Amino acid sequence: MSDLKQTLKEQIIEQLNLEDLTPADIKDDAPLFGEGLGLDSIDALEFIVLLEQNYGIKIADPSEGKDIFQSVNSLAAYIEKNK
Amino acid sequence: MKIYVTGYGLISAIGVGEEETLDALRNERTGINTGEKEETKAYKVGEIALSNDELKERFKLSTEGSRTALLGMVAAKQAFEGHLLSDEIKTGLISGTSVGGMDISEQEYRNYLNGEKHNPENYKHHSSGVSSEQIAEELGITDFINTISTACSSAANALMMGARMIRSGMLDRVVVGGTDSLTLFTISGFKSLMIFDADWCKPFDNSRKGLNLGEGAGFLVLESEKSLSISNKRPVALLSGWSNASDAFHQTASSPDGQGAQLSMVEALNVAGLKPSDIDYINAHGTATPNNDLSESQAIKSIFKEAIPPFSSTKAFTGHTLAASGGIEAVFAILAINKGLLLPNLNFSNVIEETQLTPQLSFEEGKTVKHVLSNSFGFGGNNSTVILSRVD
Amino acid sequence: MYYIHTISSITNQDSFRNEDVYASLREFDKEIDVVAPDYKEFIPRNSLRRLSPILRMGLTCAMECKNFLDKNFDAIVVGTALGCLKDTEKFLNTFITSTSDFLSPTAFIQSTHNTIGGQISLGLNNHAYNMTHTQNSLSFEVSMIDAFLCIKDGKKNVLVGAAEEKIDFLEKVQPSLIPNGYPLASGASFFAISGEKSKNKIGIQAVATNFNSINLENEIAQFLAKENCEMVDLILTSGDVVKNTTSKIESINYLKITGLHYSSSAFATHIAHDFLKNNDAETALIVNNLCKGKLGLILVKKG
Repeated sequence: MSDLKQTLKEQIIEQLNLEDLTPADIKDDAPLFGEGLGLDSIDALEFIVLLEQNYGIKIADPSEGKDIFQSVNSLAAYIEKNK
Repeated sequence: MKIYVTGYGLISAIGVGEEETLDALRNERTGINTGEKEETKAYKVGEIALSNDELKERFKLSTEGSRTALLGMVAAKQAFEGHLLSDEIKTGLISGTSVGGMDISEQEYRNYLNGEKHNPENYKHHSSGVSSEQIAEELGITDFINTISTACSSAANALMMGARMIRSGMLDRVVVGGTDSLTLFTISGFKSLMIFDADWCKPFDNSRKGLNLGEGAGFLVLESEKSLSISNKRPVALLSGWSNASDAFHQTASSPDGQGAQLSMVEALNVAGLKPSDIDYINAHGTATPNNDLSESQAIKSIFKEAIPPFSSTKAFTGHTLAASGGIEAVFAILAINKGLLLPNLNFSNVIEETQLTPQLSFEEGKTVKHVLSNSFGFGGNNSTVILSRVD
Repeated sequence: MYYIHTISSITNQDSFRNEDVYASLREFDKEIDVVAPDYKEFIPRNSLRRLSPILRMGLTCAMECKNFLDKNFDAIVVGTALGCLKDTEKFLNTFITSTSDFLSPTAFIQSTHNTIGGQISLGLNNHAYNMTHTQNSLSFEVSMIDAFLCIKDGKKNVLVGAAEEKIDFLEKVQPSLIPNGYPLASGASFFAISGEKSKNKIGIQAVATNFNSINLENEIAQFLAKENCEMVDLILTSGDVVKNTTSKIESINYLKITGLHYSSSAFATHIAHDFLKNNDAETALIVNNLCKGKLGLILVKKG
């Protein structure tokens, strides 16, 4: 699980061009949107692309993403459950 | 100073010209169907059945161009019919487009990526400015040519630019509007944003899922008083108000309260010297995306308060024709004014929970329609409003 | 007169925050794209991560121009012929090569021509008039015409400029698009203008466009006569040096300096401004006939 989280952080940095961040800057339980990393609705769509490309998980309705993309923890849990 | 409209033309999925368009509107017949081309067959789109060659032949087009340019030529020629070029009337053309010649470029670029025969000559149609030059060439207009590319508000901005140039005396007459063809680029783009409705779009409905794309063109001829005295054309409407404001909220999303939309509508009313209660019908932007329709509803509520005039989105007829929409919908506004129409908002069943607004649901004729307000909002927070008025 | 209060250019030359661009001009340097500042000093990191070079240049120049104002611009007018080519090409690649149901949307949303103006409105939190003109080689000139109309309409401070970006693919197709031998370039130039006199009293007296240009020398003479201008001190031209009967000094082919893009005349206007500011001279004319049959004329003046 912690390997998955580390990989996820690297993938998030690449997919969203967060070039100034390192995986260590992203806390497992920190909110990714709003106050956290300051991500927005376009980033949520990039997460959907990321999940499909790297984990074969398809989220057809972007509104489902709200809970899944809360933090690295929630993302990792969703991937574990659905892969 | 009054800005007179003395001609109009349009082509969209519901038809070519006034007669076909009115017939579809009256019979509530949408132009949106499952696409018939390779790139559109997976979607519900407002596709124009005529191929490029059929367009050239049927409308006797003598200038080459991308599909965007050809559609523009069809609508602009209709609008300009009966108008004569004259040294005494300084005449311009201002066209809005977002895709320009992308329909050609994307095919060519695919060939390039696939290592197939690649002809760089074809990119000469790419730039949006070229499509306007081609439309101007078809009409013989050389005094002034301009292209505006503010995404989905492009045509509305072209109307506004034309009116301001007439008012300042830079031009006497100007053909204004917009054109966009369906391209794989825009289809893929809206797919990437996950804002397509796989079914028919439902503007202002609580369960709306997203938009259907369309293609087409709509153009008007604007003239000054001086130009009218020479051209002897009969004005069919006035372009009385216009405005452009910035939402400055997000690259693609509209602000929750529709701040840019509010600013745009208020300023257009100011330019026209009208009160909100003077507006008889609103042709909304109404793309049927969850975000736009909520934001636009909030903006309409905040301006028109308890007395919201009949409003509808006609995008369930034509699909969202992007840069052309403001031109096509300006023609709808003129038809509404001259024939006393209220245009129906198709596919509506339930009010949006947060705003509780019911759009105009049926086609009505014989109404008094003096002033129509038409919204066009684009990516980048580019919000524009035009107001068309009856010539009294 | 439409007075120029601030100019900011990011180009192949050392033009950013340079008080005398004219004096430091050199031949175009093919080894570099643009001499860019560190964008992180201007644009918040969270915005910067998505921005292509044209957006970085445009937004940074706009922010620089804003520095002279204590309030926001009353209008923003942007010219670009080919717009956000990098994101356009990126998205073409995405959807042509992808077999997935899900496509990355970022390049698409940043590919429209008005992304430059839109990003400026976001960066400056500006709700005013925001327009994007895309008229090929005359995109900057028509933008200027719109900016002047804004001032005539009663708006006070207007930001107007142009930006273009070069991509490698453009070099492959250049012979079919702009068949001349100049190196392709990127660049952005933005101007804060108003009807109120600026410190050095330099402004733009007039801009003219001609979409049916037949006789360049006649058209220039007619324009200057209309503007009551008998003698210009400097002529900047795109391409062939204009036969110089009206100018005291040699005319300069600005494409050798700016490189070739459709909005090079914007940077030429910056050069003209700095020439007038730092020399005993009163007028400069920019002659833009980059595309056959299309002519743009800009008269820059001190006074």
